Amino acid sequence: MSYVLQQLLTESAKRHPDKLAVTARDGGLTYRELDERSNQLAHFLQARGVKKGDRVGLYSSKCPELVAAMFGILKAGAVYVPLDPQAPIERISYIIGNCGIKGLITSKERLPGLDPAAILSVSFAVLVDSDSQDANHVGWNELSKFPAATAPQIDATTHDLAYILYTSGSTGRPKGVMLTHENALTFIEWCFDTFHMTSEDRVSNHAPLHFDLSVFDVYDSIKAGAALYMVPEEVTMFPTSLANFMEKNQITVWYSVPSALVLLLLHGNLKPERVPHLRTILFAGEVFPMKYLRQLADLLPHIDLYNLYGPTETNVCTYYRVDRQKLKMQDKLPIGKACGNTEVFAVDENDHFIGKGELGELYVRGPCVTPGYWADPEKTASMCLPNRFQPHYEEKMYRTGDLVTPDDDGEYLFLGRRDSQIKSRGYRIELGEIEAALLGHPSVKEAAAVAIPDEEVGNRIKAFVSLNNGDAMSAAQLQQHCATSIPKYMIPEMIEFREDLPKTSTGKIDRVNLAKAPAVA
Amino acid sequence: MKEQIRQFVMENAQAKGITHVADDESLMAAGIIDSLGIFRLVSFLEDTFRVRISDDEIVPDNFQSINHIESFVAAKLAKKTDAAPAR
Repeated sequence: MSYVLQQLLTESAKRHPDKLAVTARDGGLTYRELDERSNQLAHFLQARGVKKGDRVGLYSSKCPELVAAMFGILKAGAVYVPLDPQAPIERISYIIGNCGIKGLITSKERLPGLDPAAILSVSFAVLVDSDSQDANHVGWNELSKFPAATAPQIDATTHDLAYILYTSGSTGRPKGVMLTHENALTFIEWCFDTFHMTSEDRVSNHAPLHFDLSVFDVYDSIKAGAALYMVPEEVTMFPTSLANFMEKNQITVWYSVPSALVLLLLHGNLKPERVPHLRTILFAGEVFPMKYLRQLADLLPHIDLYNLYGPTETNVCTYYRVDRQKLKMQDKLPIGKACGNTEVFAVDENDHFIGKGELGELYVRGPCVTPGYWADPEKTASMCLPNRFQPHYEEKMYRTGDLVTPDDDGEYLFLGRRDSQIKSRGYRIELGEIEAALLGHPSVKEAAAVAIPDEEVGNRIKAFVSLNNGDAMSAAQLQQHCATSIPKYMIPEMIEFREDLPKTSTGKIDRVNLAKAPAVA
Repeated sequence: MKEQIRQFVMENAQAKGITHVADDESLMAAGIIDSLGIFRLVSFLEDTFRVRISDDEIVPDNFQSINHIESFVAAKLAKKTDAAPAR
């Protein structure tokens, strides 16, 4: 049995040494190569002073070397932190400082953007796309000087941290969700059984590595001894290229956000005869618009479709297998029931467990639940609560903030949020973080970000802003300001300037009314 | 034509906080255009230049940069003129 993630690779490398493990644009690594490369990186990291629990960042566009790096970091007993290669430098620098990243696995294209003065904790950088070497940078080939046959000996347990994923934070800064080997393996093992993964599978990796959908792609594929096909970023932009990618690589299991599937459906020229090997589609991250889901279910009648649900803090905690008969009548797709080794329940405001037709907040308990947020005990204490429903021993449960109700079959339906977190294109966004970015401009007096529901992307973001007396600026200028601190998918598409923002009776900005305001051209 | 394309791309770029776009710069790598932005761009090109763009033509070779978009649209327009029946 595997109790740490790196064992999944070591085991598969023994069984399928010469099989393709991972590929991206061209070339790729066999299981033996992946295992040896990650062993070498682990020895290199140790030589550079990386100790158990230290953080190492991944900062590059997708390539097989990044997968080798994930395993190499784990084999050194360290924790990897995938950084969004598209995020603004200020945000990357914040994350590096926040969790004290000691070294970076990066690329020639990314590294020069970083200001060494802003990332003082970083003492070395390995370039995945370079074989040359100087004082500050280590070429990928340099790793071949280190032992390949075995990983360094470390005492590892299933409770060790494996990776940290940063998500939007309501107070204006991203927060780092800590995930242990046990957290990840709980999900990976359940997927492995539920989706019948085998070494014959050809698994896509559509999501970026800083997004937890990729945990299934990478680890279930490796555990099965299957082949992992990383979708290059530029291919994800073009639906026909994406459909060609699926066809050419004979993908058998696909996992992505619904909005990627909607684009494939509407513009990808996807036909059953082009993807005869495809057997399972998993989707998560946002609500799948029913109209398009029905079209997809009709277009690909023999493919199993699963809706997976869960915040980064628990990875996936509930699932629902699409039933084509029921789909015709359903007006909402259930998020379903708990995954294996997981319990979910919902309670109302009075802490009573809810029944059919009642609304409650969803809680999750089990080994999938995060130990908390990096260096943020306050936030951790507010989300990961002691299980007050079970008084006999200490245990944590996660409060999702998602409002749900059970349907007639006991499957949960997602009805909304308790707070101002939204989803847009599958990205999890705290409106508070956008407001903090807007307020960071000295001319901005008040700011409110609201979500405008949209069938294709889930939500579009609009901001209402009032300026200090005498100040003037354009929407484009303010958007430009936002781009220095928040990712592009969080920048408000529309900005409306008002003299003053409307207030509620308690003096707070009336976001509910603003969200209903008709669009001003 | 190029000026109109450039202007549309710039408007998109500005909404993402980008102030300068070179004609040969990769619109995708720089995050100027995302997967949905491409379809807005396609609608814009179809409406402005009276061309029909099929899903098969929405590929990196045609949309990588302002220069690529221009030659793609120019080629489409040239074809359209050739194909027009003689009166």
